[in-house]
Amino acid sequence: MRTTPGRSARGARLLTRRGAAVAAAALLVTVLSACGPDIGSGGDSSASGSVLQAPADNSPKGEITIWDRSGDLFKVFDATIKEFNKKYPGITVKHEAVDIDSKLQNTLITGTDVPDGVFLDDAKVGSYVDHLWNLQDVLAPYSKDIAPQKVAVNTVHGGIYGVPFDLDPGLLFYNAKALSAAGIDPNGIKTYDDLLAAAKKYQQYKPGAKPIHLEQDAFNSQLQLEMYASQFGTSLADANGALRLDSAPYHQILTWLDTVRKDGLGTRAEYLKPTDVGALDSGDEVFYPWAIWFDFAPQQQLTATKGDWRAMPLPAWSPGGARSGAMGGASFVIPKDAKNPQLAWLFYRFLTFEQAGYSAVYGPNAVYPGGLNTSIPSYRPAADPAKPLFRPIDAMGGQDVWKTAVEASQEIPGGAPIPSWWAAAVDYLGTDLQKMLDGSLTPQQVIDQAGKDIQTNLVERK
Amino acid sequence: MTTRPVPVRAVKVFRDEQRAEPATTAAPRARRTLPWRRRLAPYAFVLPFVAVFLAFSVYPLFFTLRLSFTDWHGAGAAHWVGLGNYRYLLTNDAFWASLGNSGVLWLLIVPVQLVLAVIVAVLLGAIKRLRGFYRVTFVVPFVTPLVAVAQIWIVLFDQNYGPVNTVLGALGLPQVGWLVDSMWAKPTLALLFLWKTTGFVVLIVLSGLQQIDGGLYEAASLDGAGRLRQLWSITVPLLRRSLMFCVVLQTLAVFQMFVEPYVVTGGGPYTSTTTAGLFLFKHINSGDLGTGAANSFLLVIVVMALSLLFVRLLRAED
Repeated sequence: MRTTPGRSARGARLLTRRGAAVAAAALLVTVLSACGPDIGSGGDSSASGSVLQAPADNSPKGEITIWDRSGDLFKVFDATIKEFNKKYPGITVKHEAVDIDSKLQNTLITGTDVPDGVFLDDAKVGSYVDHLWNLQDVLAPYSKDIAPQKVAVNTVHGGIYGVPFDLDPGLLFYNAKALSAAGIDPNGIKTYDDLLAAAKKYQQYKPGAKPIHLEQDAFNSQLQLEMYASQFGTSLADANGALRLDSAPYHQILTWLDTVRKDGLGTRAEYLKPTDVGALDSGDEVFYPWAIWFDFAPQQQLTATKGDWRAMPLPAWSPGGARSGAMGGASFVIPKDAKNPQLAWLFYRFLTFEQAGYSAVYGPNAVYPGGLNTSIPSYRPAADPAKPLFRPIDAMGGQDVWKTAVEASQEIPGGAPIPSWWAAAVDYLGTDLQKMLDGSLTPQQVIDQAGKDIQTNLVERK
Repeated sequence: MTTRPVPVRAVKVFRDEQRAEPATTAAPRARRTLPWRRRLAPYAFVLPFVAVFLAFSVYPLFFTLRLSFTDWHGAGAAHWVGLGNYRYLLTNDAFWASLGNSGVLWLLIVPVQLVLAVIVAVLLGAIKRLRGFYRVTFVVPFVTPLVAVAQIWIVLFDQNYGPVNTVLGALGLPQVGWLVDSMWAKPTLALLFLWKTTGFVVLIVLSGLQQIDGGLYEAASLDGAGRLRQLWSITVPLLRRSLMFCVVLQTLAVFQMFVEPYVVTGGGPYTSTTTAGLFLFKHINSGDLGTGAANSFLLVIVVMALSLLFVRLLRAED
């Protein structure tokens, strides 16, 4: 075919245009690709921690933005600002209710509108340390008086990245009225073997009952597993990040849970979902080894058995062993990109270590007339069994849960750091644990399988 | 007013004349002589869109692409890992399981939804009284906040105290672990998705129905075709484009499904409802941004392949 001069010119123009478009696209890709994080070829990406110092100014001035979860706790913290301003009138606290889980990561990465302080789950502190101030210097005067478990969960590579706020001791909640009817004395339950025996006795009294809670949600079951492990002073990984799932404490815990299942003593239900509430209120489920925040259930969710529940220290794994472990908890963190990190420290120091502050948080207030009773302070001088900050709980038969929880918390061993990949491990350990509780895996298989998956997918990829 | 049909041949001649026009005619010359302001005007008009598109679509796209070749965790320097993240995902059972879960959900949702939508749309088209009321009724679930619906689902389908099992029990049927049994969790989630989004699909199908010439039904009726025959031979074929649009749209939605499993099942039991969207979220939420970025690109490839397949099927039918 012969090419006409017109066609040839048009083709050339088309070719030029296409070439220009490709070049422009390539330029765009190059420019856009250059934006973003620096790419290196090796080495450690973690930034060396910046250590925060306390402000020298005696009457500091400025504004701080503080993020808290929405809900009742936000209202509690909000009410403390007035007390804070009595001491620091020059500091304006801009208090914001934020969905921290969904907003914090993006905010820290982009560095835009970064708050001065954030209320954060202990399990998440480790994953944000590159963005946070190391608080070891400002916390130094208080460290020896903070619950060791809380120091451990906020410690990463030797730095402390959160102001340890609350401590959530594990307790054994039990239905006192039901146990009394069955002739069971809860004071006799000192070890987990005792608990098994009591559960069997209760089942004889009430056939069909499944007295012990066996958590059916993967995340919460892993959290509960860590509470049990905390009693041994261990956790999924050591301070260097090495996995320690394949160890005697985990063998013992998993075997005990498997025994509860095999003996038909466990109620399989998700924490306070309808099945759980039904079993609790019907008297079929009478033992609940859980964090102190289970006391929310008799106060707000249970109806038929409201007033029948009590709390006692967890059983020990061996006679004389620790009678509590930590389950959950939160701390205050201060981002490196905060505008006024030193003022944020003053705010958190007030809430955590000063009597006016922690009394305002835990004591009776407009939101909780009896005080905030779903956790206790991690600062030992604030957690005095003889000086309760919150009142006895009517929905728990007027029990002084403060005293029970504070005394139990003193038994929680340290040495149980939370690895930064803890939440991601739920897909492996949490899921395998559920399989075991459904009878399709043995404790050893859980340890082998979850251990291998966590090592491959999390430890080695960090 | 009636319009005289234009003969096909006349249209062809006109098109041929247009094509035959030499390239060096007055038109390009006229363009060259336009004042520069007039020549720039079209570009100025599209500039706002282009700027927004570059900032919020193209830039994130390339940023993510670049991220997918690194081990960046949101802070510090990112290390180049080449195809490491892709290799990791493609050899990871959990990644394939998440795609499999989404695939099963697709099978449980999309075909059922299309059949339901056609039936409901046809019925809505036929209804004379309270038509507006029924249309609104079907759309209400679509505008109801998903998280609220998900919470209701948790209560409705509770194994021991949910109304659904209560009804089954009253009928002498066995109790089902809707949300705690890995066999039933997917169908229960699919049901939630169907309830929530079928109204939207009905709207699309309804608009497609309104494009069908009523004369076709009259002619078919005169030829003796019954209602079912008309549905099968006229309605469904002429709705093909609307239906294919719905298929592509819902394929995207199913493979990106996140809130439903996140709220209702948390991806369980045993990750049986960890969809591709939820699996991707887990990487990002745990700060593994490089793997998350690679996962999102793999997901894009899967969804694009499926969409292209459906479009090809449609073209083949045409």
